[in-house]
Amino acid sequence: MTAEATPSLVEDAAATGPAKSGPAGAGRAPRARTTTAYLRYVAGKLVGAAVSLLAVLVTSFFLFRLIPGDPVKFMTGGRPVSAEQIAAYRREFGLDLPMWQQFTEYCGKALTGDLGTSYQFHVPVMDKITEALPNTLVLTGTSFLLYTALGIFLGTRSAWRHGGLGDRLNTGLALTLYSIPSFWLGLLLIIVLSVGAGPVPGLFPTGGMESGGKEGFAYIVDVVHHLVLPVVTLVAVEYGQTLLVTRSALLDEMGSDYLTTARAKGLRDDLVRRRHAVPNALLPTVTLIFVNLGRTVAGVILVETVFSWPGLGGLFYQALSVPDLPLVQGLFFVFASAVILMNTLADLLYPLLDPRVGR
Amino acid sequence: MNTQDQHGRGRTGPRPRRARLLAATGAAALVLASGLATPAASAAPQARAAQGAQAQEAAKAQKDDKSGGKVLTVAVAQSVDSLSPFLAVKLVSTSINRLMYEYLTNYDPKDAHAIPGLATKWEASPDKLTWTYTIRNTKWSDGQPVTAEDAAWTFNKMMTDEGAATANGSFVGNFEKVTAPSPTQLVIKLKKPQATMTALDVPIVPKHVWEKVTDFSKFNNDKSFPIVGDGPFVLTDYKADSYVRLKANKDFWRGAPKFDELVFRYYKDQDAAVAALRKGEVSFVAGSPSLTPAQAASLKSDKNIHVNEGPGRRFYALATNPGAQAKNGTKFGDGDPSLLDERVRHALFMAVDRKAIVDKVFQGHAVEGQGYIPPRFSTYFWKPSSGQELAYDPAKAGQLLDEAGYKKNSDGKRVGKDGKPLNYRVLCHATDPNDKAVGKYLQEWWAKLGIGITLDCLDNVTDPWLAGKYDLAFDGWSVNPDPDFVLSIHTCDARPQTPKDTGATDNFICDKAYDDLYAKQLAEYDPAKRADLVKQMESRLYDLGYMNVMAYPNAVEAYRTDQIKSITTMPSSAGNIYGQDGYWSWWSAVPADSGDSSDGSSSTGVVIGIVAGVVVLVGLAVLFTVRRRATAEDRE
Amino acid sequence: MTTAETTKTPAALGPRALAWRRRRASAARFWKEYRRHRAGVFGLAALVLFALVALTAPLTVGSDVSSVTDAPGRPLESPSGHFPLGTDQFGRNLLGLVIWGSRVSLLVGLLAAVLSVAIGAVIGITAGHFRGWYATVMMRVTDWFLVMPTLVLAIALATVMSRSLGTIVLAIGVTTWPTTARLVRAQTLAVESRPYIERAKALGGGHWHIMSRHVLPNVMPLVLAQTTLIISSAILAEATLAFLGLGDPTVVSWGGLLQDAREAGAVSSGDWWYLVPPGVAIAVVALAFTLCGRAVESVLNPRLGVSR
Repeated sequence: MTAEATPSLVEDAAATGPAKSGPAGAGRAPRARTTTAYLRYVAGKLVGAAVSLLAVLVTSFFLFRLIPGDPVKFMTGGRPVSAEQIAAYRREFGLDLPMWQQFTEYCGKALTGDLGTSYQFHVPVMDKITEALPNTLVLTGTSFLLYTALGIFLGTRSAWRHGGLGDRLNTGLALTLYSIPSFWLGLLLIIVLSVGAGPVPGLFPTGGMESGGKEGFAYIVDVVHHLVLPVVTLVAVEYGQTLLVTRSALLDEMGSDYLTTARAKGLRDDLVRRRHAVPNALLPTVTLIFVNLGRTVAGVILVETVFSWPGLGGLFYQALSVPDLPLVQGLFFVFASAVILMNTLADLLYPLLDPRVGR
Repeated sequence: MNTQDQHGRGRTGPRPRRARLLAATGAAALVLASGLATPAASAAPQARAAQGAQAQEAAKAQKDDKSGGKVLTVAVAQSVDSLSPFLAVKLVSTSINRLMYEYLTNYDPKDAHAIPGLATKWEASPDKLTWTYTIRNTKWSDGQPVTAEDAAWTFNKMMTDEGAATANGSFVGNFEKVTAPSPTQLVIKLKKPQATMTALDVPIVPKHVWEKVTDFSKFNNDKSFPIVGDGPFVLTDYKADSYVRLKANKDFWRGAPKFDELVFRYYKDQDAAVAALRKGEVSFVAGSPSLTPAQAASLKSDKNIHVNEGPGRRFYALATNPGAQAKNGTKFGDGDPSLLDERVRHALFMAVDRKAIVDKVFQGHAVEGQGYIPPRFSTYFWKPSSGQELAYDPAKAGQLLDEAGYKKNSDGKRVGKDGKPLNYRVLCHATDPNDKAVGKYLQEWWAKLGIGITLDCLDNVTDPWLAGKYDLAFDGWSVNPDPDFVLSIHTCDARPQTPKDTGATDNFICDKAYDDLYAKQLAEYDPAKRADLVKQMESRLYDLGYMNVMAYPNAVEAYRTDQIKSITTMPSSAGNIYGQDGYWSWWSAVPADSGDSSDGSSSTGVVIGIVAGVVVLVGLAVLFTVRRRATAEDRE
Repeated sequence: MTTAETTKTPAALGPRALAWRRRRASAARFWKEYRRHRAGVFGLAALVLFALVALTAPLTVGSDVSSVTDAPGRPLESPSGHFPLGTDQFGRNLLGLVIWGSRVSLLVGLLAAVLSVAIGAVIGITAGHFRGWYATVMMRVTDWFLVMPTLVLAIALATVMSRSLGTIVLAIGVTTWPTTARLVRAQTLAVESRPYIERAKALGGGHWHIMSRHVLPNVMPLVLAQTTLIISSAILAEATLAFLGLGDPTVVSWGGLLQDAREAGAVSSGDWWYLVPPGVAIAVVALAFTLCGRAVESVLNPRLGVSR
């Protein structure tokens, strides 16, 4: 599910044609020579993000109205209910209003942070989300740091010695792991490292986030112990993309004249790489990193399902089967916002990080 | 906009490249090692055994520094919907409610007849309309006495507040008036005679706590701990989608539970729960609704694990749409008209090989279906006589269909009255693997008969179901010791008033003969006579062919014998543990001698694991700061 | 036929034949370049193998392999001489199921990718050609789809519709097209800025003529590379949706097999042979498509430096 995840900026680079010697993505960044220009750029991006958010709100509302299933019928769960009672429920959840009115009401409330009340848990959706969000952030945050670090590290290494055995092994492994379904890898890890297979004893918990009843340091230790397998799964399937982008960005950069000059100056290979090539090549990677972070939040549904992690992804899946419309909408909104937020951040940071942009 | 500044310009000495490499590879290796190092003591061959022993050690160690309690951890597959007895409908929640609050009556673990609970005795007036209960002299966990007033208040609340009637409103539907003339006397006046007055599964809550609740439809009873109750356990902690923690009520009138603490831990994934049992993280696994044959087989080989298999309380049936109709006579839904012919229904069922379903799908962990009520409830169990039985006979099924006028066309497909080949939609639960498995068999069996099917597997089947938009559907109910409920859902009265209402009906069945029998049994207070009437109802239901019971799945569960020494099943001779009619299992569970609780996952291992994990993170962090600094420094 | 045509002198050929010949020549050049990418050749070989397996499945295993009533083995037998990969919970031959399942998995992957690329190409070309408000709106829509969390959207779509293969194809196709649209639009803009388009317009070429005769052939290689890459993710997506129980339960596919395995409790019972083969099959095919796609991409655009 990741190949299509090519970040908009990197694509843009391809879209604007061969960006000579510039890192992918530079095509879109303004040649911000003045602060005003940058501010104008920021404003444009922020407006764009706001429009996207609004669009997401609209979709989440209408898309999930299409789900077959009457929420009231679910809530009453086959119990005998009279038409009046059903009508009362509809009124309570605002389902009796015309669609457009439901929508305006939903938007109005959403602006104040009220996403409605969950049908199945009888609590505000916001409560449910704030409850699960930290769990998801712990999982995605840790994995994100690790796979980004690993991807950049191996990507540079690979590019510098491209064509060599190390490079081929590296890219080969990355591509292979990238092609593996994450849930399958998770299941295998559970079989081997959690249940225990043959001589390997079960080392890690099979799922969940904590054993319960622990406090202080023991609690942290416990959570980290539960964190290992899901993080390994996520890192394994995700680092490949970072690796490949870093690698190709660096390869692009390596053809540049200034590197040849640097070498000609007699600088050691190692130094040329660290001083010149890597910092420049990292730029496209930075955008990818941000976009990935947003996507990882939404992409953990599978891993959370496999490892029973009490996060947003698991909640989403649970909510869909009801369908618990307010919760589904709320979560969808959160997922999409994460991506939009990170995309915008990447857009805003890009000109700041580009050393070629004058100061 | 100088980004370089952010990196700082502090000078660092030249770092040898090798050190960095080391850090990196070390980091990667440690991720694995963090786990591998865990039970370092357990050499490969006896890994499993060693683990168990280690778990015990850890548990003992832990016992001393913690509350000193023996903990029984139960892996459950459902998340709690609400802890409020007025809202909770899921099995896990009602089971927990049963542990928190005493009911008026309970069921004997041997044969499920009604025995005293909060009520010490009860009697009905000669006109069968007034029931008087004597309330036990006992205390709430906050020291207040339990009185008849609490019970009266609970029932009255359910009768007057719609929100409070959410979960158990059906129990009070026939109540005229509930009063408490004295602290030990509860009087319930009925509108009509009702034989189920000793089976009121309603948790009685403390009035002094609950009268402060304003909105019963929103109050989930999960904010202030411990929660005041009078059951064998007191709820002390709850984390949504994670766990529910209860501690033993030492003053429980029937005697204190043997375990000090009871934890229900939620496992979304059954495999995870089974693995947790194997490792001693939990003491008991129930499965949802039971362990799969593969899991049961693999757990049996573990010497510290006992796989408990008992007759189930569920029936697993194939319901046929009888042409949905509301009480006001409006027809709705779109059930296939050919199914209105009894011969077609019988033919379909005769082409279903129940033995194969039990052998292949349940792999022996079920009993072949016969009457409506499972054999576990021997009082009410009925089976068809040999002449009446719709035995597996595909040839005869074909004949029946021919007789009914559904003949095969040139392609070998049976043609309906409208000239189109018969193709039934079978509604199945996407979450139930058995539905999908049996569906595959049905598809092949009925294809031989010349009938096609489409499996409609949905997460949420209620919608098409309530709208009558199905031809056949997989159906199943858990049967209570008192069968009134599962019988009532097939009466004409249970149907919705209009197509817009929701009725209590299961499958829109409406049959005069059945209804007459139902009314008779409800007014019959003599157990033997009532049982006879119930059996006649089952016979009628069987002949109608709208509810075809394929199997009674067994309850397959497992627990660790090194943590639980003994536990009461229900029925006690051979029964189930999780989801009993009563609190017998958890109340009676005796800890194993070693005194180990389930709460100890090897803590030393955990510490090592964590340390390793932290090292990984720190290693990586260092690696990168060092690299970034280097970059900055080199640039100067 | 090939030889016959090449022996003719260029002068004797009509314009159509000339064009064909040019195309053949460039295809030959492409293949020569492609052959140099060892990973790409490996991927292609793997794909040919899988395609053969899938196409010949009716002859080798037949549809009977998915029958539950005539299952040959006992439930969950471990691998043996008789059942090289063991049996599933119905006693069906797992090797046969994996082979049979390749048909659905490949078909769904292929169709979904074609749908996705078709949508992307149409939107990309039209948005590149028409400019103006149409392009603005289209690119906004594309941008917006781009930020949608694909998996979440696909799950939602699959839930909304009935369980069938068509649903899965649609859910994947509808959510993965924006990347293609952007790439194709960029290419379209580049092509349309070339002088000969100007000439074609001057000669009275309509929109349709320009788009189908000039732009389309030029974006085709890009579309091809993109399709190969998207098939890879579509196959993964199919497996994912089937695994989440959103597929058609009566159809055998790799993702569905994995879900069956999980539901049967194969994970905690340690029945690895049930889990490993479908997963490996998914990974190998996805990898093969990725390798091919990368090779094609680097042949078309050597600057990408993919596998130099």
